[in-house]
Amino acid sequence: MIQVHNLHKHFKVTRHHQGRLAGVRNLLTREYRLVKAVDNVSFTIQTGELVGYLGPNGAGKSTTIKMLTGLLVPTGGDLVVNGRIPHQSRQQYVANIGVVFGQRTTLWWDLPVIESLELLQHVYRVPADRFRQNLSEFTDLLDLKPFLHTPVRSLSLGQRMRADLCAALLHDPALLFLDEPTIGLDVVAKERIRQFIQHVNRERGTTIILTTHDLQDVEKLCERVMIIDHGRLLFDGQLNDLRERFDGRRELLVDMAEAYEDVSVEGAQVVARDGWQVTYQFSRSSVTASELISRISQRYRIRDLAVREPDIEATIRRIYEERLLET
Amino acid sequence: MRLFWEITRRSFRRFMTYRAAALAGLVTNVFFGLLRVSVLLALYDGRPEVAGYTVPGIITYTALTQAVIAYLSLFGWFDLMQSVYTGEIAADLLKPMRLFTFWLAQDTGRAAVNILLRGVTIMIIYGLLFDLTYPQTAVQTLAVILTIILSWLLSFTWRFLINLPAFWTPNARGIVRLGYVLAWFFSGFLMPLRFLPDWVQRVAYLTPFPHMLNSVVDVYVGVLSGTELLRVLLIQAAWVLALALMGQLVLKTAVRRLVILGG
Repeated sequence: MIQVHNLHKHFKVTRHHQGRLAGVRNLLTREYRLVKAVDNVSFTIQTGELVGYLGPNGAGKSTTIKMLTGLLVPTGGDLVVNGRIPHQSRQQYVANIGVVFGQRTTLWWDLPVIESLELLQHVYRVPADRFRQNLSEFTDLLDLKPFLHTPVRSLSLGQRMRADLCAALLHDPALLFLDEPTIGLDVVAKERIRQFIQHVNRERGTTIILTTHDLQDVEKLCERVMIIDHGRLLFDGQLNDLRERFDGRRELLVDMAEAYEDVSVEGAQVVARDGWQVTYQFSRSSVTASELISRISQRYRIRDLAVREPDIEATIRRIYEERLLET
Repeated sequence: MRLFWEITRRSFRRFMTYRAAALAGLVTNVFFGLLRVSVLLALYDGRPEVAGYTVPGIITYTALTQAVIAYLSLFGWFDLMQSVYTGEIAADLLKPMRLFTFWLAQDTGRAAVNILLRGVTIMIIYGLLFDLTYPQTAVQTLAVILTIILSWLLSFTWRFLINLPAFWTPNARGIVRLGYVLAWFFSGFLMPLRFLPDWVQRVAYLTPFPHMLNSVVDVYVGVLSGTELLRVLLIQAAWVLALALMGQLVLKTAVRRLVILGG
């Protein structure tokens, strides 16, 4: 479905002069700085996959998505999606994909939802009966009925997202790009959208690429994740592998019964101290929790303790912060 | 074609909902028209005719130019520029449709609403207040309808073209404004071009602007007839084609630039 090979995207960013006469010098000479937004990225996605595409802000996620949707031309590398090169023959290419941006709507602001959807029927030349079928299915699944006749500008964020999801799928695209589809939504709305995404992937076989900051989206939806940072693909594989590789670190919170100068213990690191409370970090492979507790209790008087299991969020945060995946 | 119609229909309905705004605009157009009439009549100073325009002729000129302000969007249209700056253009580019056609269809709805709500109403009001001239023959009436449609197409292609610099600079408003000022002056909106010195008229007729407005008035009041009439209509159509082509070309470059440099 998608083949990406050595993909690059470089931007030239004007660097402004500093210091004396900076304004005049900016007018006369321009210096450019090269930003490698996407730097040598390769991956393949099969039909029917649901892939999570993760990375901190400015990592290159959106740039990749823009190239995959044909909105940006790569600086280098090969990109074949659905048998086509996205930025060539734009109209034919976009006819077979769906795109949802969490940050902005693709619907017409002033029109009632249903009007926008019907207009899309003509934009994509969807046969009338197929359109009706899809519309009624999505209306049920996304519970669109209460606001079908409301102008898009008066919708709540959650309603708008649901309308946008429906709009992106009416023409049965083989491939769906979701760019932060749950951003800013409450827990219930997020859950509903996740269920819908899962349904579309499983029942319709739609290939989905999902970018998100919400790692619960990934945990619930994706088997495969790709992590990008500083324009480079750091990880591409099963979510479980990611867990196993980086999940080793657990935390033990201990409330000491009295003040100690030195609280160190073999097999664990002290990562935080707050008064009498000490946080140890240890890896599953080197010591078990009960072993560690007994070691600590032999040396110190303990009032209370708790073991904290790392979640995927902490794992990914560590990957970003400590650059664990960089080579 | 079906898509064009569907977009036009929705745009029509959308602009129909802004009735309060249309009414306010209508009142303004009528009032400023009266002001212009009184200034122009002072210029006549009792003479029955100036530069081929009789007194009813000049009042008709004013009524007509006031009536088409909204229809032609003479005071500016920045929608395309806005959609570049807000990034909405990306959503449009992700749909399998031509941008030029998409905007033209929307403008068709907008123009239709304005010619009905403001154009026709203003002509009726002035018709009740003054002694206006009207098209005399069926041929002339047909010519008036044609020239009015062509003038809108011409204004659209011009507006589309001058909005495109938005793809290059983060503040194209100044350029777009300049485009509208040029159009006001050379289209004969401030005063009939016939009132201006010969050389100004000659310069004006090197541009498409007189065909947005001045020609409409000429055809309507009947200054032109026969082959001259036909010639004006053909020149109008030629300008529409030329500007539309230019718009397409610049748009193509603009989109390529957008996708290469990023939004």
